[in-house]
Formats: sequence, structure tokens, C-alpha cells
Amino acid sequence: MGSPGDPGPAPRSHYLPRTREGWIGVVLFLLLFILAEPPIVYTLANRVEPWVLGVPFLYAYLMVIYFALIGVLIWVMRKGV
Amino acid sequence: MEPWIVATSLIFVYLLVTIVLGAVANRRLTVDLEDFLLYGRKAGFIVLYLTVVASYHSVFAFLGSGGFFYTHGIGFWAAGTWTILVGAITYVLGSRIWALGKKFRYITPADMLADFYESEGVRVATAVVSVLFTILYIQTQAQGLGYILSVASDGRISIGLGTLILLTVAAGYLVAGGLRAVYWTDVVQGVWMYVAVWVGALVLAFTLFGGPLELWREVAVQRPDLLTLPGPRGFFTPGMWIGMGIALSFGIILQPHMMIRYYSAVDAKTIKWLGATTPIYLMTLYIPAALVGLGGALIIPDLAIPDQVFPELLFRFAPAWLTGMILAGATAAAMSTLDSILHSNMTVLTRDVYQRYVFPEASQAHYVWVGRFIVLGLLGIGYLLSVKTFAFLVTLVTLSGSGALQLMPAVLGVCFPGKRLYTKAGVLWGMGVGLTVLYLTLVVFPNPLGLHGAVWSVLANFAVTILVSRTTRAPSAETVTRIHGEIERFVYGSGG
Repeated sequence: MGSPGDPGPAPRSHYLPRTREGWIGVVLFLLLFILAEPPIVYTLANRVEPWVLGVPFLYAYLMVIYFALIGVLIWVMRKGV
Repeated sequence: MEPWIVATSLIFVYLLVTIVLGAVANRRLTVDLEDFLLYGRKAGFIVLYLTVVASYHSVFAFLGSGGFFYTHGIGFWAAGTWTILVGAITYVLGSRIWALGKKFRYITPADMLADFYESEGVRVATAVVSVLFTILYIQTQAQGLGYILSVASDGRISIGLGTLILLTVAAGYLVAGGLRAVYWTDVVQGVWMYVAVWVGALVLAFTLFGGPLELWREVAVQRPDLLTLPGPRGFFTPGMWIGMGIALSFGIILQPHMMIRYYSAVDAKTIKWLGATTPIYLMTLYIPAALVGLGGALIIPDLAIPDQVFPELLFRFAPAWLTGMILAGATAAAMSTLDSILHSNMTVLTRDVYQRYVFPEASQAHYVWVGRFIVLGLLGIGYLLSVKTFAFLVTLVTLSGSGALQLMPAVLGVCFPGKRLYTKAGVLWGMGVGLTVLYLTLVVFPNPLGLHGAVWSVLANFAVTILVSRTTRAPSAETVTRIHGEIERFVYGSGG
């Protein structure tokens, strides 16, 4: 067994990306995700008008964000991150 | 022909298809535990895609989501956030779980956690959490199934009998063909439920309003309170938005039936494509659900049970053949989740309990047969639980998801090497405190300060895991090097 709080033999963190594409993917995903979360979604986006392509603003706004997030995931996959 | 005969017949046709698939899967089965429990780790993209989405979307995607839009309005469109998180988590975490499973022949979540933390206590705790909270899912799906068959037959088949019939069919093909039967039936179920909910919603929107856009306009005129947050009853507070997002993404991914799916993939690329593309299916299924719920709120505003909005609209306004097809789709949604959970519970109990502690040296055939008997036991438990109560579907699913969420620090500690290691004492204390806080913040003082209990519980879990891990012994350097080294090799192509 290791000692208490042992930093272990694999000190390089996996929580931060190590490539340029990785950073772009993570930052883009997080920025877009923040746009679909409080407080933005409860303030700026929380409205019916203007209507967008026949649907209320909040619904359309979130749908655009969701598809953009999926786009980021596919981009990351294609880049092999 | 009367509508109930058409609707019920179509459901039974669907059941017949699943039984045939189970029988064919049985002929392909080899006497091998990995084949029975993990599809021989050979699941390709299409099969895995459809089984993941079909398992994720349960009866609540069909009934509960319509009910939520009906009651609380557009707030349920938050579903997009958690379905996309499911994809991202699958991409990042699922591929690592796959890599470790393939390298070290893990079959259950507890295999992985017990190996890393060098602890039988962690194995037992993981198995208990895995089974305990997914039992609630069996109850939810079984109740949904009984309800669907009862509605389809216009009350001629009772909810209890309907539950028993459909539970028996699901358990039957699982016993016959193992995970292969589950996956093959999920392929049919995944396609059927998606087509059914879209066709049903569009037919209703055109029949009742002249089209989806006209439906939205009408909602804005008659019920504008349904189109903004937090909804007419103030349910979708920011805390609920965030909390449901965490509980229904991480909480479901960490349930054993999802983690076992990662183990069963043929390669890492399959898992990554799965992560990148499953949100398309998962998220877009809620587009027609919004039409059903919001449209229903205008047409039949006085429903006692909001979850009934979709079948009620169908019976009143859709042709019988379409109603039958869609209710068969709802049956598919429930059964695909139910069979996956029956399978995962069977896997956990066979592998982590029976093989580990009761009869460690038996033959592969012995374990396969034990697994089959366990399914029959689960069938009985599921039936008993389901005929006792009929609670609100989404709330039950959320509670289940929040339970499995308590594995989060432990799983991240294995799959994401970092500066500090979590210890077995840390993750065990974390799970214990997390579950206690979950009970307090979901049952005793529901959602304090408007923040979902799942968030409180996982925050407490992480805090305790980190604190206790600072003062207790870490896993051995050999184990950490072996497992984190494998993660390093898998992700970055080097040993560390």
C-alpha cells in the first residue's frame, strides 16, 4: 500500500487536455454548455419572442445550442482527440 | 374491428418479435460467461448505438416526458443538456472504462473499482449500490408496461396482469439468449420507439392543430406560462435544471447496465463514435414529446395523471392501428430498459456475489445457469415491487439515477489519473455520506435552497472522498502503475 495522500506514479493529470485540438474541443464545449445553463438560460434566453422559424425563442435557442454541442463532439471525434 | 383489439394485437405482435429474437440469440450462445454477460465483447456500432439509446430512454421518455411538458412546460427541454452530457461522458469516460475492461477482463463496475482500490469492501458497496438503486428502475418500467397494456386493452387486461406478461417475456428472452438477446431486441426496440413517438406526435399535431408550428402558436395564445421558465408551477428552478442535468447524465451512465455496455464494445472507436452521435437520437426524441405534452395541455387540460397525456390523445384522436403501433413503441421503450437492468443486476449478482463469495471455482455453464435463476428471482421481486405503488415516473427515475451517482468519485479516481489519489477509505466514506445526504435532500428536506438533492449528495460525496483520502492509505504503487499506466497508454500512447 502507498503512504497517505501518495501522489502516485502517474503525476500528469488527465483532467487537462494535452493537445491544441483537445483544448479547443473542451473550451468550445464548456462555453456552449454554459449558454444552455443558468443564469443565461433564465435571463437573456427566457423569452417567447422573437419567434425563430415558427417556434418560441427559448426553444429555438436551446435547440441551436444543443446541435452546436453535438457538432463539437463530432469535430473532436474526427480530430481523433 | 374495435380499437382496443387492434392496439392490443399490435403489442402482442411486437412481443412475438422479441421472443423470436431471443430464441435465435439462444442458438448463437456459447457456454461462456463473457458471451452470456458481455456479448463476447464484440458489439459493433449499430447494435451498441441502438441498445444504448433504447436502454437510456425508458418508459418515461414516452409517458413521463409528455407528462412533464404537459405540467411544467418548456422547462423539460432541459433534457437536451443531460442527453448531450451523456454523449460527452461516454466519449471521455466510457472509452477509458472500455480500455480497462478489455485489458483486465472486467465484467462488472465492481470488478474495476475493487481492483484499483484493492478492496473487497469497495466491491460489495459498489454491487449493493448497483443493485439497490436499479431495482427502482425495474419497478418503474414494470409499472409502465402494465399501464400501457392496460390502456391498450381499454382496461380488459389489468395493470398487474399486464406487468406480469411483459416482465415474463423480457425475462424469458434474457434467460434464453443473455446479453445477445437483449442487444438484438434493443435494436428493434430502439428503431420502433423512435419512429413511433415521432409519427404519433406529428399525426396528433396535424390532426388537432394543422401542424407543429400552429401548435406552438396556439400554446403561446392559450398557455404562454408553459413557454418560459420556471414553468406554471415554478418547478424548473435553476437548481432543478442543474440537478436533473447531473442526475440524469452521470447518474445513469454510472448505473451498471450502461457501464457493462462500454465493456461489451468491439473497440474504442465504437465507443467514441457512440459518444459523439448518441445525443442526436437521445435529444431529438424530446422534440415530439414537447408537441405531445404542450398540445395535450390545450386539448385535455384536466388530466388527473399527466403521464397519460400521450395515450389519451391517441385513443381520442388517432386511428386504432396507429395507437397500437405507438403503444407497442412505448412497450419497447420500457422493455429495452427493463431487460438491460435485469441483465445488469443478474451480472452483478452472479459475478460479484455468487462467483466471488459463494462458489468461486464452478464451471462457466454453472454460472450461466445461476444467472438464469437470478433473473427469475429478479422477475419476482420486480413484479412484487411494481404492484405495490404507482408513483410519478420521472421522480422515481431521478432517485435511481442519484443513487448510482454516488459511484462518481470512485470511478473518476480510477479513470482519470491526477495529482492526488483517492483511497478505498475515501471512496467508501464518500459513498456512505453521499447516500445519507441523498436521502436527506430528496426525502426528508426535498431539494434544499431549490437545488436538486443529487447535487447536494454528490458535493458531499466528493468533499468526504477528498478529505478522507488525504489521511488514509492509497492503493499500492504497483496497482496504480498498472491501471493508470494503462489509461495513459490508451489515451496518449505512452506508459506515463
